[in-house]
Amino acid sequence: MVEQIVFILVSLFTLITAVVVVTNRNLFHAALALMASFLGVAGLYVLLDAGFLAAAQLLVYIGAISILIIFAIMLTRRLMHALESPFNSQWGLGAFTAVVAFAVMAGVIAQFWPVTPDSVTPLASRPEVSASILRGSVAELGRALVSSDAYVIPFEIASVLLLAALIGAIVVAWPKAEDE
Amino acid sequence: MVPLSWYLLVAALLFCIGLYGVMVRRNAVAILMAVELMLNAVNINLVAFWRYLSPERPVGLAWAIFVLTVAAAEAAVGLALLISVYRNRGSVVAEELDLLKN
Amino acid sequence: MEFQVPSLNLLIVLPVLIVTGWGMLLMLAEFFIPEEKKSWAPWLTMLGLVLALIQTIGLWGYNGGTFTPKGGAPMVVVDNFATFLNIIFLLTGILTVLISIHYLRRTGLDRPEYYMLLLFSVSGMMLMGMANDLILVFLALELLSIPLYILSGFAWPRPDSEESAMKYFLLGAFSSSIFVFGIALTYGSTGTTSLPLVLERISDAGMLGLVATAMLIVGFAFKVAAAPFHMWTPDVYEGAPTTVTAFMSVGAKVGGFAAMLRVFVAALPQLGEAWVPAVAGVATLTLIVGNVVAIVQPNIKRMLAYSSIAHAGYIMIAVAASVNSPDGVSAALFYMLAYLFTNLGAFAVVIALEHKQGEGVMLDDYKGLGKRRPWLALAMAYFMLSLTGVPPTGGFSGKFYVFRAAIEADLLWLAIVGVITSVISGYYYLRVVYLMYMYDGEGEVVANRALVWTVGLTALATLVLGLLPGPWFDMARDAALQTVQMVAGG
Repeated sequence: MVEQIVFILVSLFTLITAVVVVTNRNLFHAALALMASFLGVAGLYVLLDAGFLAAAQLLVYIGAISILIIFAIMLTRRLMHALESPFNSQWGLGAFTAVVAFAVMAGVIAQFWPVTPDSVTPLASRPEVSASILRGSVAELGRALVSSDAYVIPFEIASVLLLAALIGAIVVAWPKAEDE
Repeated sequence: MVPLSWYLLVAALLFCIGLYGVMVRRNAVAILMAVELMLNAVNINLVAFWRYLSPERPVGLAWAIFVLTVAAAEAAVGLALLISVYRNRGSVVAEELDLLKN
Repeated sequence: MEFQVPSLNLLIVLPVLIVTGWGMLLMLAEFFIPEEKKSWAPWLTMLGLVLALIQTIGLWGYNGGTFTPKGGAPMVVVDNFATFLNIIFLLTGILTVLISIHYLRRTGLDRPEYYMLLLFSVSGMMLMGMANDLILVFLALELLSIPLYILSGFAWPRPDSEESAMKYFLLGAFSSSIFVFGIALTYGSTGTTSLPLVLERISDAGMLGLVATAMLIVGFAFKVAAAPFHMWTPDVYEGAPTTVTAFMSVGAKVGGFAAMLRVFVAALPQLGEAWVPAVAGVATLTLIVGNVVAIVQPNIKRMLAYSSIAHAGYIMIAVAASVNSPDGVSAALFYMLAYLFTNLGAFAVVIALEHKQGEGVMLDDYKGLGKRRPWLALAMAYFMLSLTGVPPTGGFSGKFYVFRAAIEADLLWLAIVGVITSVISGYYYLRVVYLMYMYDGEGEVVANRALVWTVGLTALATLVLGLLPGPWFDMARDAALQTVQMVAGG
């Protein structure tokens, strides 16, 4: 019961801040709300026994991506206070698409996994796992990422991807002095 | 006990909030933030599926890490492009990017 | 020391390793080569791509996989399907380097990073065809796209280049987040993302599998520029440096279709009843939008952008036919091979006429080309006929096989839509020919040797595919059979 209440609070926090992100006119406030929303998602990971991912979420999303976004907002200051409406003419279409998409997904999820908390279907209730397995899952994950009989190939592709993004970002941001 | 579907509903809702944000915002940074929300929704799904369906194999966790990596790479490239566009134009070009028009 | 790597066979992924490794090598080499000798970069890139191509051709006939997780299926497979597509990607890369060398120098964009990013993007494309796991498809898609976002903003200092790159990036990131949500739902409904295992379990996934499939279709449709997800295409194709436009009009599109065919035909055939009508609908809309809007474009890059949207529609006809017709996949493969040569050839001519960045790309600049440069004009006319689908061209053979596969798959109406829109497309393609021969005009044409070679080779290849399509189609059939057998074998 306590877990349910905590879950509802964390989820509400995440979702409300997310709504602020997409509706607030002031970009800086939206970015702060984004950080809060990331924090809420980290809370959900903790509730899901994925402590490592929660830490990664804090480091990468809040520590790196949000800060990068705030930097970008600061560097392009005039973007911060938009005089005209921050929304384009398609808000009706956008709202309609979002609502329909959610209705479809919610309907399918509810059909697939029961929504009531006390149902005993195997798919709905969380399997009991000993604490040692959960603690070991981080070590397991680490091994899996570098084992050739696990996920080393996506891991390597991800690293090439990061390298390409790094080169790309430098190419874009480098002053093109020699061309001037 | 919190059922799996609750997590999935939260993820679906977060995804749709992001979807709405991408479709209605005019500012490039705001759109990027909405995309990040969508990727977070993906990760909630992956972690929830991992915990409820196969906690003994870290597949969902590994996939979540990859999505995180891609999000970081995308953010780096996107913000570099944004700053470059701003420097080139010296104005709020990003606001005039009407994404859904030809 | 003892190595125990039974599941690992690096030899079969060597082409991809060469291409990525070559990209890193270029990066290091940049430090050691003095400024005045910077012209090495394209030739070094070419060497890497040719090495990878030789290695790839050597793998023809091989059928196997590597990087197998415990108790799962290989994450990377090399079969004729992947090899055929890898040949297309490597040829695209080689031809792009050929058309880039002189263009980049005269527009002041010549920087070694261009070729590094090109190589990374090619390796992403190759992985699209080889990926046997949805998460790998996602990572390959990103590896293909992220360098392309940068490359399309490369035409400094034209502001519209970076703006279009921004737009491409935002829509690309948006579509890939939809795509990866579809992957997460597939994982949830089947407990796996490995394609052969998805195939076994997807029939139990019910509605959730359908929602996931719909999201995957949206993601692919963005990548291959199919309507109604094509909005980014004209602006990006116009804003990007023309060589990059040529590269992504072939590479990114074929890459998207490579993964789409693998995922839908090898993993989701049981959901065919649901996705075939969806793909057929998208194909119809794409054909109509692409071909009709192309008519009013005064800029040749925009015209070719809409033309490439339309061609995505024709390939989608083959995708829709691939479940119920044995020749669907091979028709798609053959079509993409013909499209590679025709489209890159046409873009090579466009580059020859673009003397300065962004100048000489209007249709009016083609007036009188027939008198000024008879051979170049002849080649351009031939490419336009091939894009329309007039025999004897590769484009005609491709359309013939695609429509035949559609009829075999009981999609006669789709084939009729294809024929009608092809007739419409004749209007804007043949207008280029008309302008070239019926008017007088002046303008600089910069055709250096590499460019002339490219035009000649692509025209020759288009002609061969038009006159003697049989052996090439048999090759495509060999490539497709592997996919179907894999389905049967589970």
